[in-house]
Amino acid sequence: MKPIEIIDIDVSYGAKKILEAITFHAEAGEILGIVGPNGSGKTTLLKAMSRVVARDNGEIRLDDRDLDSLGHRELARRVAVVPQDISIGFDYSVRDVVMMGRHPYIGRFASETARDVEICDHAMHLANVADLAGASVHGISGGERQRVLIARALAQEPKILLLDEATSNLDVSHQVEILNIIRDLAGEITVVSVFHDLNLAAYYCDRLLLLKDRKVYAAGTPGEVLTREKIREVFGMEMLVRPHPLTGRPYVLPVYMHRSGAGANRRVHVVCGGGTGSDILHLLHAADFTVTCGVLNILDTDYGTAMHLGLPCIAEPPFHGITTGSLSRLRECLESADTVIVTAMPIGRGNLDNLRVLLDYPAKPVIFYARDHTARMEDYTGGEAGAVLTELEARGALRIEGAEELLACFSGDGPDPGC
Amino acid sequence: MRRTAPITILTLICALLISMAAAVALGPSGISLGSFFTSENAWMILWEIRVPRVIAAALVGCGLAVAGTAMQALFRNPMADPYIIGTSSGGALGATLAIVLFAGTGRPVLAFAGAMAATFAVYFIARRGGKIPVETLLLSGVALATLLSALLSFLMYTAGRSLHQIMFWLMGGFWNISWNDVTVALPILIGAAGIYLFARDLNILALNEEDATHLGVNVEKTKLILLALSAFVTGIAVAVAGSIGFIGLITPHVMRLIVGPDHRFLFPAAALAGAILLVWADALTRTFTSDMPVGILTACFGAPFFIYLLRSRMKA
Repeated sequence: MKPIEIIDIDVSYGAKKILEAITFHAEAGEILGIVGPNGSGKTTLLKAMSRVVARDNGEIRLDDRDLDSLGHRELARRVAVVPQDISIGFDYSVRDVVMMGRHPYIGRFASETARDVEICDHAMHLANVADLAGASVHGISGGERQRVLIARALAQEPKILLLDEATSNLDVSHQVEILNIIRDLAGEITVVSVFHDLNLAAYYCDRLLLLKDRKVYAAGTPGEVLTREKIREVFGMEMLVRPHPLTGRPYVLPVYMHRSGAGANRRVHVVCGGGTGSDILHLLHAADFTVTCGVLNILDTDYGTAMHLGLPCIAEPPFHGITTGSLSRLRECLESADTVIVTAMPIGRGNLDNLRVLLDYPAKPVIFYARDHTARMEDYTGGEAGAVLTELEARGALRIEGAEELLACFSGDGPDPGC
Repeated sequence: MRRTAPITILTLICALLISMAAAVALGPSGISLGSFFTSENAWMILWEIRVPRVIAAALVGCGLAVAGTAMQALFRNPMADPYIIGTSSGGALGATLAIVLFAGTGRPVLAFAGAMAATFAVYFIARRGGKIPVETLLLSGVALATLLSALLSFLMYTAGRSLHQIMFWLMGGFWNISWNDVTVALPILIGAAGIYLFARDLNILALNEEDATHLGVNVEKTKLILLALSAFVTGIAVAVAGSIGFIGLITPHVMRLIVGPDHRFLFPAAALAGAILLVWADALTRTFTSDMPVGILTACFGAPFFIYLLRSRMKA
């Protein structure tokens, strides 16, 4: 018996289909997040669960009971909804609004009992609005008003709590405060929440439901659902997906770049290390260059970036010099590359060969790339690396600072054309 | 709930009793208080004319205020009132039809039917996607009232002999009120009590309809019942006293400022205040203006109040 079970429902507004063949369920006591782009039907799905919108067909079951068989008051005793910030036209006090949560328990000819007052007090305490009880709902902040709506929902003593982007109008500290309250409630209450922010969803939800074009695209743990491929497919955008350093949950960051296509049919080899090349690996990849990189150590951040982007990368085990095998593969890459980029990385005995080998290709265009004016090549070889760099520069290697200038150089309208 | 609300209601009850007593004593015939107990003629005026008239005014004022309060919460719109929405015009047309066609029999029934039809017509004309915006509400009210008054004018034009009677329904007043009319007006109390049972539902409906559904209110059914009860109360008020405007607009507003928005206190407060307001308005018109229709007076201070509300809403 599941607290909520959705079986193959369709919903439409007039002739317009909003949801199609949606099937899922929530486990008792979990937080289930609904995510997806605008217009994918998230809010409508929630409204179908609270019976505010009617479905065309399919079935919704609460604790094995058909949703349609429940009376209005009975439904309100099982399912509570926290809407997005609502405007309250009349000047009610916080306690008045929370007490409205008891409405489904109080008969038409009765008035609230001491027990109702007690439940309201407890709900206000849980939602952290007890000190506001006497205040007017017009005189409190948006974050406080949202907590009042949570208290009202709790006063309903529901088994299921539905949240419709209940925190998306709030700043991040209030979002976290409210979601922490919700998480503490889960266990006793089953929570189904629409999220706009994928990172909040990833952290607070036990499972996620990803909607795309009116249908369920994926369902599972945040780690299963929030993958780079799925996000790209659903949101049409490149995202970096990494484990959050403190929580271990997936953490997504948008890659704010357009695919320009400027680098089509051009090969670039990037010699980098210590994280100095990650930015341009992304940039060149996004601009459609064929990118190779190496030789790198497999603990290197740049190696992680290359793997993440799916770029061919020559790599060695940790704390290992460059082997002859890797060196010959590096030569292959260099021979087929149109341009070689060397980033402002630290150079030691372990990666000196990456530079030295460039001396064998005098005709190959070389760019020394620095992210900004503070980035420089640190020489840990006692001058050997410096000598190689001087030699390469004497042969015409360019120095370029900043990612924009690098791309401008490639597109031919920078100050140094002919990259 | 404001702590002062019960005290306010108690004060209003006392004020109503005093007002009614004072209104009975006031009048154009210049009878002194003492003569009521000595002169049979004076007693006749008191008991057969003034007492029923004051009671009817109190009942009608109470009914209009309660209907206005319910409509404002129902439409989530503080500009709503039975007169503006067209309920009163519908009731007036119904009452006029009863006079023209059946010589006045069935007046309350037809007034109620007309009030009901007009209310639901405006409700469905003004509704867009489950909401009733101020503009469409007021405009549909105006449009419908125009149509209804055209029909009334037509009836006046064709039915020359009862012209004076029909004029009365347009302006509203308490001439010729007898104990019989008080009996007709009494069901206002039943309607008002029925509306009061939905006070908590109205508190919640005043938030928004979707939210009310979440809190276990059967929104469509509740709206239908409350609209019907409001039309019932207004229809009877109109059948007794013609269409008197703005009582249902002003009293809920002023009382909401004093007792707060909780309808469990707002309804009794508005009902009492509406009764007091109309008792005094009637007492003043009959004493000082040789029985001018009281609707003229209420419109005179009601319309500026309406304009003030409109302006302050436009600022917000």
